[in-house]
Amino acid sequence: MMRTLTRAAFGVTLLAISGCQFFKSEERVVVQKGHRGTAMEINYVARDVNTAMNDLAQKMPAILPPASESSPPAQWQNVQVLNDISVTEFNRTMLSFSTWVGGNPNNCAYCHNIANFAADTYPDGKAIYTKAVARRMIQMTRNINSEWTEHVANTGVTCYTCHMGKPLPNGLWFYTNENQILRHYLDGAGARVVSQTVAPSNANRSSVKQTEWTYALMISQSTALGVNCTFCHNSRQFSSWEQAPPQRVTAFAGIQMLRDLNTNYLAPLAPVYHPSRLGPMGDAPKAQCLTCHNGVNKPLYGYPMAKHYPALWGTHTDWVTPAAPAYTKPPVAMTDSAAAVTMDSAAMAAPVAPTTPPTTPPVR
Amino acid sequence: MLEYQNLFTRVQVRTTADPGLPIDETFGRRYGTGVFSYWAGKFGDSQIGPIYLGFWGIVSLLCGFIAFEIIGLNMMYQVGWSPIELVRQLPWLALEPPSPEYGIRIPPLMKGGWYLIAGFFLSVAVITWWIRTYTRARALGMGTHLAWAFGSAIFLFSTFFFQPLLVGSFSEMVPFGLLAHLDWTSAFSIRYGNLYYNPFHALSIVFLYGSVLLFAMHAATILAVSRLGGEREIEQITDRGTAAERSALFWRWTMGWNATMESIHRWAWWFATLVTFTGGIGILLTGTVVDNWYLWAVKHGVAPTYPAQNVLTQEQLEALRGQYPSALNRGYPTYTMPAPATTMPDSTAAAAPAPGGM
Repeated sequence: MMRTLTRAAFGVTLLAISGCQFFKSEERVVVQKGHRGTAMEINYVARDVNTAMNDLAQKMPAILPPASESSPPAQWQNVQVLNDISVTEFNRTMLSFSTWVGGNPNNCAYCHNIANFAADTYPDGKAIYTKAVARRMIQMTRNINSEWTEHVANTGVTCYTCHMGKPLPNGLWFYTNENQILRHYLDGAGARVVSQTVAPSNANRSSVKQTEWTYALMISQSTALGVNCTFCHNSRQFSSWEQAPPQRVTAFAGIQMLRDLNTNYLAPLAPVYHPSRLGPMGDAPKAQCLTCHNGVNKPLYGYPMAKHYPALWGTHTDWVTPAAPAYTKPPVAMTDSAAAVTMDSAAMAAPVAPTTPPTTPPVR
Repeated sequence: MLEYQNLFTRVQVRTTADPGLPIDETFGRRYGTGVFSYWAGKFGDSQIGPIYLGFWGIVSLLCGFIAFEIIGLNMMYQVGWSPIELVRQLPWLALEPPSPEYGIRIPPLMKGGWYLIAGFFLSVAVITWWIRTYTRARALGMGTHLAWAFGSAIFLFSTFFFQPLLVGSFSEMVPFGLLAHLDWTSAFSIRYGNLYYNPFHALSIVFLYGSVLLFAMHAATILAVSRLGGEREIEQITDRGTAAERSALFWRWTMGWNATMESIHRWAWWFATLVTFTGGIGILLTGTVVDNWYLWAVKHGVAPTYPAQNVLTQEQLEALRGQYPSALNRGYPTYTMPAPATTMPDSTAAAAPAPGGM
């Protein structure tokens, strides 16, 4: 009797477990991405994606009505960027900036001296760093939309793509230690570690440790986009471009883009920021994939927000070429890497950064 | 309730603990007189102890403790000596091998030196424990099968030192950490072009899963015939009874052939021992003879080809290949000085402020 009862309970439990799996699998969507048998697929729960999209649609600020085309070109004082658009378009864009970055359309004071909008300083004479940063960000946005179509295609980006109504976008990063993987988005070194030949050679002396750094970098991209490895790779040979889906080329362009943005736009702003905005080593906040993607393989689920804002498009050769104030290199021991010589050089003699105990959880 | 009793009985005997054979106590002696445990008896013999440590056992425990301490104290250092953080972050903490730029030179203590010292003491601990298994087996007049099976595992363990030595970089070695050593297996496989295409890795897996299968088959067979005296399997090697006959017949009926009471134990020993032996060969060949196992498999017609997933031209492919981080001395990540800052000039002084201006 007892044994029968036990067996019955066991059977019911099995049924219950398989039943749960069955109901779950109803809403799970699997999209085949590669040749059959390669297990390359995107796997997601449709309801979760719908919920997230609806949440975003609720949160996203409305597109402002288009500006009248007949508006005359503006005659502004101290307008160094966005001086190639009409008055109404300019005002419309400024209102949007306030919403996208400042959180509401009335937050002019986040970047302006409201007693004198043309001024670059507060009434007390202190520089408005947010205004200087915003100018550079506007140039950066135009650069992305016109020069980086390999990555953003015709969708483009707006301030909101990254800022999402907050002054500080997600995923900003600073130097912490010499092996920080995200430095890849600022330097010119490759992340390739897999050999292209069967036999070992001195062409590739990458170690397993360097592979782990590349691996960590790849996982940061995977997490930032909410996709798995096979979104961009055939995991049986990660290095193979022939077997990689086209998305890998887009991602590669994204890495090049991040290097451009971090090197030419974000890192050089270090002297401009208020010290409280800088990292522990005095460097400016920098971007990574997560900054724009926010966990989605197409930012804002591919919504083409930027097409409604002509101010964010076009080249800006007519804009004031910015002066070049002295750039302070972050106080990090990088002299050995900057030397960029061969493995057998006097690497041992090069100064090494002191090891500091990490206070943040390790990169996962 | 009636219960059939045989040698595999679950009845626990309580009597004076058995101290075992008299031994030569020149190099060590047994500690304790033996105690009985009900729960130990649920899983094996209910008697615990006396235990023999001897010279090699003490050396092994001491070295193992030193290695454990070095690893643990380094982890404590990494979390700023906070016990709470140590517990919280333990899965992600690791004592890492030296960085790539040191090659096979001795790095400073905090740059992998502690790792090498911990590795040395761990190796001494493992090797002296092997000596202990060998000498104890000899002292009991046993064969040394256990020692050689353990030796096979130590061979695989040793390849994680010798392979880095052969490829000239201690940074290849396995980090001491919970998730870190698992990440290492992924990274090692990726670095060398997917270890699944390494035939010795494949052999190792065959023997590993084969061991599991043999273990299950043998245990199930003997338990199934224990009511017929099958638990006396060693006697039945030479004095075959109905248990041996029936279990042999069962396998002949179901798969056409059977092992014997004697050979099944050799099957199990060889399968288990070959797991780590073939695995170790696979490690030693990696990075020394073959640098990309996938390409090796393509070359020898092992890996199937699939249609290309994109329309990249040969020129585009070349352009996309990228560069090896090891082309630079520090390897990856490196750092290039950013272009000079390009902030706007403060032109307030030049432009007269106008009310209402933007």
